Amino acid sequence: MANPTGAPGRTPYAEVLAGLARHRGVLGSFVVSERDGLAVDANAQIGVHAEAVAALAASLHRKARLACGAAGCGTVTFLRLDAERGGICAAGRDDLVLVTISEARANIGLLRVEMMRAVKALT
Amino acid sequence: MADEIRRLSDDLARDPSSLAFMPLADALRRAGQLDVALRVALRGLDRHPYLADAHDVLARIHADRGDLERAADEWEMALRLNHAHGPARLGLGFIDFRRGNLESAEQRLAAASGDDDDGSVAAALAHVRSALHARTECHGSEGDAARTPPSEPARRQTTPVSWLTPVSPPKIIEYPTPDPSKARDVFANVLDAADQTALLVDADGLILAGGYIDANGQDVADIVAAELAGVGGEAERAMRHLGLGAWTSMLVEADRSIVAMSPAPLGSLVVVGAARQTPVGLVRLLLDRAVTRARDWLGRVA
Repeated sequence: MANPTGAPGRTPYAEVLAGLARHRGVLGSFVVSERDGLAVDANAQIGVHAEAVAALAASLHRKARLACGAAGCGTVTFLRLDAERGGICAAGRDDLVLVTISEARANIGLLRVEMMRAVKALT
Repeated sequence: MADEIRRLSDDLARDPSSLAFMPLADALRRAGQLDVALRVALRGLDRHPYLADAHDVLARIHADRGDLERAADEWEMALRLNHAHGPARLGLGFIDFRRGNLESAEQRLAAASGDDDDGSVAAALAHVRSALHARTECHGSEGDAARTPPSEPARRQTTPVSWLTPVSPPKIIEYPTPDPSKARDVFANVLDAADQTALLVDADGLILAGGYIDANGQDVADIVAAELAGVGGEAERAMRHLGLGAWTSMLVEADRSIVAMSPAPLGSLVVVGAARQTPVGLVRLLLDRAVTRARDWLGRVA
């Protein structure tokens, strides 16, 4: 594991991110600012582009939040995007979004539960 | 017949993804168990939507149920999947015959005559030509003899050609294909509860089929379609950049609803919405069903 944004423990989110990154199949976990798409903290494997993931996940979460608002679905609490070889999970609170990127073998149910628990700590 | 059905049922139970559903559905049809046959065929098509023979089996079931419109849809689908599908040509010829379109029936049967292994096409063609000849000779009562439909229930037969035997009054369901007024109900049979809704949106965010009713009972399909089309585009962009392959589905949990979506043919997007208390796994299952339905529907109308 490597932390592309700095040493572990630099932000209050390091422990949460490390816990998520330990899940099977998880390639990286991030705290992202939805407003500007910048990574606040990250814990990702080498080769995962934290900046790109942060920007894309933030944009996706923002779009989903706006769409759900327009459709009267309420506030977005969890988002899962599946692809052929993996996917992205995102759980937001205020302007911060907790993001994980994972391979197809990840246990999404378990990851979801932990992310929903962890997002409550985001402030 | 009962033994055959039992054996095929066992085969299918041992391997639900096998193609045993086709002979089983057809055997059930011939035994007159049309509802069961329909369920077996539809379940099989969920797994194997691109098998022309499976659509042929389903078409025969619809025909036996008297639903010629759906039968024609399925045979047309079989022909799209396999342009040389003889039984589908024969079936469509039968539909034309039942509707009194003798010239079209003759053309279809003539086209199918190359694959006439058992002589059924030749027999049907002879029958249609005979009816055509009779109509030409009897100007006053033209077409009456030709349009005379079968009395013997088709379910006893194995090929459409035997249905051409004229006897009892027809019950022909006639409505155009596709019927735009039915587009709203395309997903009706894939949803399980009143608080579930499904929508098919084109690449430009315009509604193709289905509807979207929010928690207040308002139809917000236009808004959802426009907004979510952008989300689909964003998902595609994200996955392309991250190298995880094409996106297959997205699920969004919100305070009041769960919304799931998946790409569909022709750049379209299938969207399923359900109340927040719906289990997330069930929403994904509904999405899979809606995508299958959308593919089938688009295959017919596109």
